[in-house]
Amino acid sequence: MVEKLKKKPRVYDYFKEKEEQYAGGLAWCAGCPLELNLRFVPKVLGKDIVIVGCPCCSAPILYGQNVGTWHRLSYYSTLMTGVASSATGLARYYQKVGKDVTVVCYTGDGCAADVGFQPLSGAAERNEKIIYICYDNEGYMNTGVQRSSTTPLHAATTTTPVGKESRGKPTVPKNLPLIMAMHQTAYVATATLSHLEDLAKKLVKAAEKKNEGFVYLHVFCPCPVGWRIPSDSSIQVCRMAVRTNYFPLWEAEDGKFRFTHEVASPRPIEEMTKLIGKFAHLKEDQLEDLQQMVNDRYALIKTLCDANK
Amino acid sequence: MKAQKGQVRVITGNAAAAYGAMLCRPDVATSYPITPMSEVAEQLSTFRAEGLVDTEMVEVEGENSAMNVVAAATMAGGRAFTATSSWGLVFMYDAVQHAAGFRAPVVMAIANRETPGILAVSGGQQDIISTRDSGWIQIIVEDCQEIMDSIIMAFRLAEDYDIQLPVMVNYDGFYLSYLAMPVEIPEREDVDRFLAPLKDQPQRTILIPGEPLGCGTHGIEVGFVELRYKHCMAMERALQKVDEIDREFGEFFGRSYGGQLEEYRTEDADIVLVTSGGASGTARTVVDAKREQGIKVGLVKLRLFRPFPRQRLVGVLKGRKAIGVIDRSVGFGWNTGPMYMELRALTPEIGIVPMLSYIDGLANLDITVPHIERVVDEVYAASQGKPYQEVTWIPLEE
Amino acid sequence: MVIKHKFIIKTEGAWSDANQLLLCLDTGSWRTVRPVSDNEKCNYCGLCALYCPPQCMKDMGDHYEANLDYCKGCGVCAKECPRDAIVMVPEGEFADEGSKRSG
Repeated sequence: MVEKLKKKPRVYDYFKEKEEQYAGGLAWCAGCPLELNLRFVPKVLGKDIVIVGCPCCSAPILYGQNVGTWHRLSYYSTLMTGVASSATGLARYYQKVGKDVTVVCYTGDGCAADVGFQPLSGAAERNEKIIYICYDNEGYMNTGVQRSSTTPLHAATTTTPVGKESRGKPTVPKNLPLIMAMHQTAYVATATLSHLEDLAKKLVKAAEKKNEGFVYLHVFCPCPVGWRIPSDSSIQVCRMAVRTNYFPLWEAEDGKFRFTHEVASPRPIEEMTKLIGKFAHLKEDQLEDLQQMVNDRYALIKTLCDANK
Repeated sequence: MKAQKGQVRVITGNAAAAYGAMLCRPDVATSYPITPMSEVAEQLSTFRAEGLVDTEMVEVEGENSAMNVVAAATMAGGRAFTATSSWGLVFMYDAVQHAAGFRAPVVMAIANRETPGILAVSGGQQDIISTRDSGWIQIIVEDCQEIMDSIIMAFRLAEDYDIQLPVMVNYDGFYLSYLAMPVEIPEREDVDRFLAPLKDQPQRTILIPGEPLGCGTHGIEVGFVELRYKHCMAMERALQKVDEIDREFGEFFGRSYGGQLEEYRTEDADIVLVTSGGASGTARTVVDAKREQGIKVGLVKLRLFRPFPRQRLVGVLKGRKAIGVIDRSVGFGWNTGPMYMELRALTPEIGIVPMLSYIDGLANLDITVPHIERVVDEVYAASQGKPYQEVTWIPLEE
Repeated sequence: MVIKHKFIIKTEGAWSDANQLLLCLDTGSWRTVRPVSDNEKCNYCGLCALYCPPQCMKDMGDHYEANLDYCKGCGVCAKECPRDAIVMVPEGEFADEGSKRSG
């Protein structure tokens, strides 16, 4: 028998609340990293948060059904166009009456990058004291895997399918975390679910920095169904996204950038795309485009981080 | 117990709206500029900067956010106010319906302006009509004093435990928004006293961080129906509540507006005119003049549009010989004025009498004394059995 | 109108309340494979429990086992285990067991 380890992973040290706030059986797809993410958030941030959600993959669980509900958290459900603004209303009221409440927005990329971008940008510019967590599954997954503005270049979705005339999304995605960092708010960071300690540290920092201003966390969150990856591989895909520099892990505190995880020798992008079905149709030239995009974006972040040293 | 005499100042309609809101001490207010109500936002910001209120002012980046911010603030337990006009109102329409469905007691001042479709920077009531099915309570006022008084009454109405519905206080953009009139501004303590009964009521359900209450659950099947039904019933209760609050306001401040509607010289009227908003003032002048000439004409100023004051309207319109309705908007699909169309639905109760629809006052075209005189003449002729035109677009017949 | 229906939502607005009703789905019935831990190989690192999306790994003192009421059979635990101590076994192999419920 192998010797049993005595210590638990360090991530648990960051937990404020060990008790599970959600019901045991929830309707997320098998292997969905979003389930891991959303169950994780109140463990680090505490169970007294108020979550603001909108229709997306988290809504069937965050929202109740008539009087019944799937979790024990306080929540406010609103429209995709109203997340950051509703959170502003809540946060401002609590501030006025002197209550220390953590308001957490939790939406997908469809809301954050597309239809809810205006209020998100407005709230960030006003440096509202809220935490906005965007889980990026690179598309509108809940409605059937349609493309969003964070869907990667050449990716196949149901609205950018592979056919004779076109093969996947023709445009590059918005670099949403960088756009949010350009608002120069209190704290902006990227995180993913393979690097849970990094995510936990960022959530802890978020809880602290939200007292100074707007906090934006961008979590890379693959969709096993939409991206056509086996249900057991979602965490592996997260890890590979970091290792290829497709999704570098960085943070910008008061506008100062730094990497929170440096990749010594980044792998070629194929090592990630070969794991993912939505990239299965990529030809050589498309792969080169993607690699170029990854390189350019990494170089930009690196310049911003180096400027800070 | 009566309120003290307030200070009389000559202020614009927009400023009156801002004063009305400020006196009620909202916790959160949002502002986004749009002609003709930008001044409301400016005034509120000035009050805040001068320390006259400690409202959390949020200068949002768009009207949609303006409504979401105030709706959420009320669901957390606060008092909230915002203001907008036409295009802003329709831009925030998803949030407007959300606020009503959530039963968020928001008060919104609207300086009425023509809605998009035809670009117009001019007054009209199309924005009220475009949002009449939103589930909000809609009040339409006639002058600057009434703007301020109605906003104070609106908070009393919206936050009432039996009601819990958002309220729109509508006033003519460009006519009232920029018109400076003497307005008696009540003392802050008196407004506090007027709103004090709300504190004695049970606490409405609000978000409590740490408590597993969720605001905005999915309505599933009959659960959805229950919520819709409760909403409709609250609107029904609002009818009487509007009258009660108006009476209390009158007893305390000395100014009363009739509640759901104001009846002017209708007791012995043969024919009745129905107007709303600023045009009512002009109509009163014409009614007096025509009475001098021996025409027994009365005026109904429709103050509450949603919920529709069905019972009181039936009461005042029953037994008349002809009715004329002046609409400051159009009713698409019926090709009549929209208020006319809703009044026509009362026919089974008021009897089949000539009802004439007049569309006037669109796009800042004035509803003048000669226009209304013509309306009275034609309605009178109809009451005498003469042939009449059902729908008249007054600006096109000039 | 006579209302025969007994209202299920007691609030005026659309509020849910976990104190009144906490819902739960029978997600254990979804799976087609289930994780089986090998206690000999397992070094009790806890990564399977950490990465399990529905957080249904039970601490058995020296290894972890899935709560079969909720385990969806996604296989993340098996994939993430650094010692290959978990294998995903088809449900068919356990057909002899009377119930899929854990002990």
